[in-house]
Amino acid sequence: MRSMKTLVSSIAIACAFYGVAASVAAAAECSGTIRVLAQPRDGLTLLEKYKDEFTKLSGGADFQIDYLNENDRRAKTKADASTIGKYNVYYIDEANVALFASSGWVAPLLDYYPKDYDYADFDPGRQKVATFDGKVWFAPLTGGGDLMVYRKDLLEAAGIQPPKTLDEYIAAVKALNQPDKGIYGTALRGQRGSGANVWRWMPFFKGEGGNWFDGQTPAFDSDAAVKATQTYLELFKYSAPGSQTGGWDEAVGAFTSGQVAMLIESTPLVGMALDKKSSQVADKIGYLPPPTPLTGGGYGHGLAIGTKANADEASKQCAGLFIGWATSKENEARRLEEGQFSELNRTSIMTSKTFADTYGPALGQALADTGNVTAVNFWQNPQWPDLGDRWGIILEELITGTRTDIQGGLDELNDFAKDLVARGQ
Amino acid sequence: MKTKTLLPAAFLSPALIILAVLALVPTVYAIVISFEDRELSRPDGRFVGLDNYVSLFSDRRFLNAIQVSLTWEVLTVAATLVIAIGLGILMFECASPKARNVLSLLFLMPVILPRVSAAFVWKFAFHPLYGIITYPYKAITGQPLDLLSNPVTALGTVALVDVWQWGLFFSVIVLKLLETLPPQPFEAARLDHARPWEVYAYVALPMLKAPLISLAFVKMIESLRAFDLIYVMTRGGPGISTETLDMYAFSQGFIESGRISYASSMAVLMMIATSVAFTFIWKRAKV
Repeated sequence: MRSMKTLVSSIAIACAFYGVAASVAAAAECSGTIRVLAQPRDGLTLLEKYKDEFTKLSGGADFQIDYLNENDRRAKTKADASTIGKYNVYYIDEANVALFASSGWVAPLLDYYPKDYDYADFDPGRQKVATFDGKVWFAPLTGGGDLMVYRKDLLEAAGIQPPKTLDEYIAAVKALNQPDKGIYGTALRGQRGSGANVWRWMPFFKGEGGNWFDGQTPAFDSDAAVKATQTYLELFKYSAPGSQTGGWDEAVGAFTSGQVAMLIESTPLVGMALDKKSSQVADKIGYLPPPTPLTGGGYGHGLAIGTKANADEASKQCAGLFIGWATSKENEARRLEEGQFSELNRTSIMTSKTFADTYGPALGQALADTGNVTAVNFWQNPQWPDLGDRWGIILEELITGTRTDIQGGLDELNDFAKDLVARGQ
Repeated sequence: MKTKTLLPAAFLSPALIILAVLALVPTVYAIVISFEDRELSRPDGRFVGLDNYVSLFSDRRFLNAIQVSLTWEVLTVAATLVIAIGLGILMFECASPKARNVLSLLFLMPVILPRVSAAFVWKFAFHPLYGIITYPYKAITGQPLDLLSNPVTALGTVALVDVWQWGLFFSVIVLKLLETLPPQPFEAARLDHARPWEVYAYVALPMLKAPLISLAFVKMIESLRAFDLIYVMTRGGPGISTETLDMYAFSQGFIESGRISYASSMAVLMMIATSVAFTFIWKRAKV
């Protein structure tokens, strides 16, 4: 039965692909190798199986993807795009899209994204984070918001209802923390970085009503930031060992190995936690939107067209064709078929019958519900990585106890932000 | 006669030209942009004189990085030499020639391992939940041991990996050096009823002074380049407690700010400081 379903969906994908291919191939005349600098994603690895398909579609071009982990990818893309620019396609994300766009390191995507690939089909939240200054800069490979994921068995055993508010959440984390039994209340991110500890802290900050800036004036040195940090540090008392200097990998690893009762994390966690190949708690989890008043951290990563390596219009067209093909409905359908939940971005795929059959209707509902509280928590500015990373270091110092004065840390960040704004002008 | 004087220059010039291109050009460029306010996103920098250098001395992360770098240098060089000399003597004194060869082979393996691979392996070994090294502590006390998240133990833990790679390697070198020494001074010392430690402290090691100083210099230079090990294991954390100067310069240049002029001013200061310090130590050691 399973092989029959696979056969049917493969035929459907092939038909759909050749339908789109016929209309875009007429315009494509590409050659050589399209070089892509990315971070590891199952969806990109899967693409490499279908290289011949792209070669045929493009009229002769090949592609080569170089992978670096997230922090290194951010550093390397920035260094490459600002200097020699040898990559045709960059993997960028919500945190640095403003920097890449305002520096002219990437081209406006929709000028070169083939219309047949239907950009409007992407999840609206992901389109929003891919947009800066009124223009779209990348096509999403992954993205979403946050979900509160919990161990149903542990909550039931303790007689605790899934928390709906932050106060209930904190109380549940404390009650479920049993280190002597190898179970920790939660897992947070402590590792420095605008995309690491700051990313998980921001929903608390926004939930408390905090704002980064008021015009050009830093506004985060506020009671909301102090309260958010106090709560974050309080929860860290019940966070799994290793998470104090760990990031997404450590938090997710602790949860899927069965050592964490509940956590709030980016939506791809659910796909990983439900995957029996990598999760020891696949049959025991439940998920809901983050407890109020927390906002979900809206994010998106995707592919953008480099300007230096694609000096002429024809090269940009070819890079756009590659991005269109890589993020097409057909390739997303392949990812769904492979169980790559975190690589799904298109509304047509996430509302499809195959999606509901694979993950059940509850997940689709939870994703829709969390969409209502998903927000852009970070400062949408080219200088955001600089500010966010600086707060990441101060926050890591607070988490690991090398400093204890929250207000002092925020004051230091405030001075840094003023200097940052002055430098930017 | 004339060709004889030109021949050295003819042989040397290709190497010197390559060296000039590879070393001199980036060095001069780094010095030039350290006087500007250039950033990755704003390559058209202005001349700002000594502003970057002045700012460094009110930057708490820079001052902290100096302290961390000095601690790292002293800790890793001293521990490597102590381990190397201790193990070298132990093998020379206690092991049969065959056992020495087997141990030498084993002790060479860590340094052959790429730094980044070694760092990942050890990072996992130190993991508080799954680590093989921390497991006995957790089994006995019931508490996890998170050495890399503790500001007091993080630098020492990373240094342990560095010493594991280089201390074992140097111990093989010390063993081979001991084997080259003539046996007569050892016999004379023993006839004079010198105890084993006195034989090594007053006879063998003074005879090996010159090669041991060279080993110390090699390790000092190598320790300055520990970026990859620290970056993989702690990324300079927790907080900034393992952030060395090269790591902070890289962060400012490429990870956080893209402030390449500011990062260059750090690199220039590091270059001056190491050149002066090494020249001074070298001259003292020769005396």
